[in-house]
Amino acid sequence: MSRFFHGDSSSESSSDEEELYSGDEAEPKPEAESSSEDSEEDDDDDDDSDSSDEDGAKGTGASRFLRDESDDSEEEDEDKVTVVKSAKDKRFDELEGIIRLIENAEKISDWGAINDHYDKMNRQLPTLTRDLDGKAPKMYIKTIAELDTQVNEAVEKQKVTPKKMNPIAAKGLTALRQKLKKNNREYTADLELYRKDADEFMKEDVVEEVAPAPKKPKSKLLQGDQTLDANDDGFTMVGAGGKAMVYTPESILKHLRTIVESRGRKNTDRLEQIKIMERLLDVAVSDYQRIRVLITLIATRFDLTSGTGSQMSQEQWKLAQEGIAQLLGILESNAGIIVIEGAEEWEDDDKQPTVGQGEVFKVPGSVVSFVERLDDELTRVLQSIDPHTAEYVERLQDEGSLYINIVRAQLYAEHLKADEKLNASQENINRVVMRRLEHLYFKPSTVNQTLEENTWKAVPEKLDSKVSPRSVGDVQDLVQVLAVYLFNKSEGILRGRAMLCQIYFLSLHDQYYKARDMMLMSHLQDTIASFDVNTQILFNRTLTQVGLCAFRAGLVYECQTTLQDICGSQRQKELLAQGLQIQRYSQITPEQERLERQRQLPFHMHINLELLECVYLTCSMLLEIPTLAQAGSSPDLKKRVISKSYRRMLEYHERQIFTGPPENTRDHVMQASKALAAGEWKKAADFITSIKIWDLLPKSEEMKQMLEQQIQEEGLRTYLFTYAPFYDTLSVTNLAGMFDLKEQKVTALVSKMIHHEELAAALDQVNGAIIFRKGVELSRLQSLALTMADKAQNLIESNERVLEQRTQGTSNAFERQPQRGRGGGRGGRGGRGGAGQFRGRGGGSGFTGGALGNAIRAQ
Amino acid sequence: MASQQPTSASDMLNGATKTVQAPGEIAKDNSIMKDLLPNLDRHLCFPLLNFLEEETPEDEDTTEITKLKFALLSPTNMHDFTGDLYAQIHNLSERPEEYAKKREGVMEQLAKYQEETEGLQNLLADADVVGNLRSDKESNMKYLKDSHGVTPQMVEQLYEFGQFQYSCGDYNSAAELLYQYRILSTDNERVNAASWGKLASDILTTNWEAALEEVTKLKESIDGRLMNNPLAQLQHRTWLIHWSLFPFFNHEPAREVLTELFFSPTYINTIQVSCPWVLRYLTAAVITNRSRPGNKTNYLYGNYQKQLKDLVRIVRQEQYEYSDPVTGFIKALYVDFDFEEAQKKLSEADEILRSDFFLVAAADNFLDAARHLISESYCKIHQRIDIKDLSTRLGLSSDEGEKWIVNLIRDTRVDAKIDYQAGTVIMNHPPMSVYQQVIERTKGGFFRTQVLSAAVAK
Repeated sequence: MSRFFHGDSSSESSSDEEELYSGDEAEPKPEAESSSEDSEEDDDDDDDSDSSDEDGAKGTGASRFLRDESDDSEEEDEDKVTVVKSAKDKRFDELEGIIRLIENAEKISDWGAINDHYDKMNRQLPTLTRDLDGKAPKMYIKTIAELDTQVNEAVEKQKVTPKKMNPIAAKGLTALRQKLKKNNREYTADLELYRKDADEFMKEDVVEEVAPAPKKPKSKLLQGDQTLDANDDGFTMVGAGGKAMVYTPESILKHLRTIVESRGRKNTDRLEQIKIMERLLDVAVSDYQRIRVLITLIATRFDLTSGTGSQMSQEQWKLAQEGIAQLLGILESNAGIIVIEGAEEWEDDDKQPTVGQGEVFKVPGSVVSFVERLDDELTRVLQSIDPHTAEYVERLQDEGSLYINIVRAQLYAEHLKADEKLNASQENINRVVMRRLEHLYFKPSTVNQTLEENTWKAVPEKLDSKVSPRSVGDVQDLVQVLAVYLFNKSEGILRGRAMLCQIYFLSLHDQYYKARDMMLMSHLQDTIASFDVNTQILFNRTLTQVGLCAFRAGLVYECQTTLQDICGSQRQKELLAQGLQIQRYSQITPEQERLERQRQLPFHMHINLELLECVYLTCSMLLEIPTLAQAGSSPDLKKRVISKSYRRMLEYHERQIFTGPPENTRDHVMQASKALAAGEWKKAADFITSIKIWDLLPKSEEMKQMLEQQIQEEGLRTYLFTYAPFYDTLSVTNLAGMFDLKEQKVTALVSKMIHHEELAAALDQVNGAIIFRKGVELSRLQSLALTMADKAQNLIESNERVLEQRTQGTSNAFERQPQRGRGGGRGGRGGRGGAGQFRGRGGGSGFTGGALGNAIRAQ
Repeated sequence: MASQQPTSASDMLNGATKTVQAPGEIAKDNSIMKDLLPNLDRHLCFPLLNFLEEETPEDEDTTEITKLKFALLSPTNMHDFTGDLYAQIHNLSERPEEYAKKREGVMEQLAKYQEETEGLQNLLADADVVGNLRSDKESNMKYLKDSHGVTPQMVEQLYEFGQFQYSCGDYNSAAELLYQYRILSTDNERVNAASWGKLASDILTTNWEAALEEVTKLKESIDGRLMNNPLAQLQHRTWLIHWSLFPFFNHEPAREVLTELFFSPTYINTIQVSCPWVLRYLTAAVITNRSRPGNKTNYLYGNYQKQLKDLVRIVRQEQYEYSDPVTGFIKALYVDFDFEEAQKKLSEADEILRSDFFLVAAADNFLDAARHLISESYCKIHQRIDIKDLSTRLGLSSDEGEKWIVNLIRDTRVDAKIDYQAGTVIMNHPPMSVYQQVIERTKGGFFRTQVLSAAVAK
């Protein structure tokens, strides 16, 4: 039976004490304990009497517990007085031991070992320093001073002698040298003293060591009693090492330093530290102290969840958010102190800096980074919560206060930038403006409007922004203003992101042409492959939104080509970062999957995938069905596939023997396609308009009307293609009646088809009829001959291209026809008139798959 | 040099063109004067304003225009004229004193400049000296310096003087001076400015041949010199497009060259991005190009078809940004195939053309060519056409329509017959034979393969 089995509470305290006791006292203890355990085993009642004189916390009843506590504290007092010295001695012994080791290693120039020992020594230092009232032990100073000289000498020697040091030692030396340089800065004063007169320095040390040490705990306790009275809460804070912690305005900075130093170590109780700092914050009297405490406090709160996979609790997040707000509030009201990156740390913990009139005192830190972190944390939380719960909504509401902080941070960054002397970096403003933009771009303007109004209400009256003044009332303008600001002031990825955000926002608000022009003029599709994955996702999102916008504007062709790359790949989820797609044969490592998970967008930013699919399929139907009808049986036209995924679905649907009534969106579109192909436009329109998801679109009624009209027109075209061979003449009036279109419209449509030589027919104006020409249907042999001719043509062309590639275009042996230039060869998907639809400004031929393909591969 | 537009003046112009209008409601609604003027030089605006004044009916007030002209010309050195305008605006019998004074100042300046540049000008007039000049500017300068004591300052003075003359309205000598300057100067920046100045001078002296040369030169310099500054490139191209509108519609041979220029990818992009209203001129140019002699040959006609196709594409793309009856005509005819609408647009377009400074001369031509286009595509689509109906579509009387059709049949050699009794035209569209198609497609194959194998053998 393990001896740790019982004493769940006691084992902890005893082990604590174990550290406290000196080595020789610790020795017999396990024996004693084991004996008590033995007795426990024998008789449970016996245990009570035993435990009372050993360590108090082993009570069973409540009364017992109470008594124990009082006992305990008394005991502890006594312990302190008697044992402290030995505990401290022990630590000093350890230090001495290490120092001796270092000296030994110095003799044989084993720099690797020295480096290790040095680290060990430094780890001990904080506790030692605490014992000595915040002063570093003299021995330590002596050692580091000597080490410094030694190291310098060694380095010098290295430079002179050609002999190489062994690599481990060399590595140790350089590491040590750097550490020394860094560390010794803290002890410059002491080092000076030591160097001036080493003996004197050491002597003083000895005297000091004896005298104040035993006294200290007592006096501390006394102080603790005082604060205890003052605080009235009946408890004394007990800090690490069992000593009472006292919070006075003077000691705040010291406490902070201890906390900062323990940051990143193992076994530090952050919650405890947070409590301490909250206390400190209450005690703090000056703005400087408050700022310092807040900065550390916020950082520690964020540290709580530094691991992967864990999220900040709402409470902590809120507190952090409030902390930032408070910090900003102080900074806004006190112009004398600023928080800026790269400022010098104020070393003197005992004295507060005095800020003269008109001067500014710099505190190191970054408000912008805090806000960014806050934003990231919220995103992480939202990623992990099930979006259909009330919790999600609750957390999402926090976004409002987050946004306020972002805006205030932006104001602060601007304020810093406005001061020429500070030389604050532009980058900070850019970052925070970008964050702000990222909170705005995907929302409809009404939402943004309220967000903005609330924000400006929360921001103090006197503050205003130069970048985005209060007066920018219209949110549409706000996004524009922010994006343009970033576009002018930043570069690289931020610039691209700003652009994309604006395009997204524009297309969300039905400004298709503007969005499209910006998209094309940005030339992002050429360079997007070189951006980071998140930006690529944003690009995909923007592209999708532009496509949806085109659909709302009734531009079927544009919509289809735009969405082609996203939807045609069957990887929408992955491309838009809206969920993981489990692939059967995927070779994704867990690492990749984790990254993927991190990239996921929170639910409220999602683009509705079902709607997207529905739009894409409907558009594909409207384009594909007439094309299929036109292709008929001729072999060369069959290849013109507009949407591969649509074709695949259609084929699958046709293979089914029994088709029930449509259930999902896909079924609806497929059955509509079938009806349309048969010329039954009415049925097709019914199928399409009965899809429920259209209701998600604004103005869904108009959308349906638009779709109906498109279906009528495409139905007419399909009908003509399909049934032309069976007619000699067709009356325009009849057709108009059939498709419920105006006669003029029918005439115009037919004229267009004739003019583009899609239909071998002519109009008879007098009789109002379409006359189909005879003898245009090709025999099998003839159409094969035509195909053959085309193939020969292609062969020649590809030959020429190969030659050109080989010679890198140096041998301009043959003149191509102008329209068959390099662009034509590359066209592929973007070709077939795509370049005509999207104007190829500066050569970029619309949305081609290149960039996106790369985006996928990069993931 | 002259390319900097003082904004105040052009702003005034913009404001005023809205109030002062050319006759006709449609023309008024579609006036693109305010778009054009900011892209033109002060001196180039003047003819446009003059035209506006002429167009205004007698009974209407032209003071606004006069005021505009005054504002336009005040910063120039043409003080006589501005003085007159001032007098006209304020109903004075003669121009005020200050203009006389200014005039004297200008005359003095002129004399000074003349004196300073006389030596150099004489030199350049000397055939011997000119004979010694080479294409290399540096060596030229050296030669002149060594043998004739010409200093760079003297060359710079040529430029100053040229600018001065231009500002005085003496465009001939300005052109001459700037030409000379350009031969000698090595300052690229200023040479370029001089080119702009010379182009303006050539335009204003209606020396189209020279102007066309300048346009080519400027085009090259824009392509080459501003390579690293796309924005400036765009701006300069916009200017060039606007400036070249002058030779475009006033000089027959220029039209083809400029249409080509406008259709080149960079310039069509410029039009789309920064000045879509130029599409009106491009449309008019393409349509009128049709009726020019010499386009019967196969090559040119094919080219014309291609231009038309490009035009249709661009008009369709830009319709959300710019549309007027002229581009609307193209859209109605080739995008919507709505012949009635096309007819309507045509009559509107006609009105616009007649009140447009650049297009007024081409209006008849345009109407004629547009009718051709309508009937051509109409015939292509229809098999039997009612003559009366077609005539109304073309805006002609029945008899005229018949004559028109006969001419059309003769000109374009379409296979058609008139059925007089029924009053119809019957078109016969023979389908293209399959054999012919195959032959067409495989036509160039052999030659291309030969070239290919020759290239491989190399």
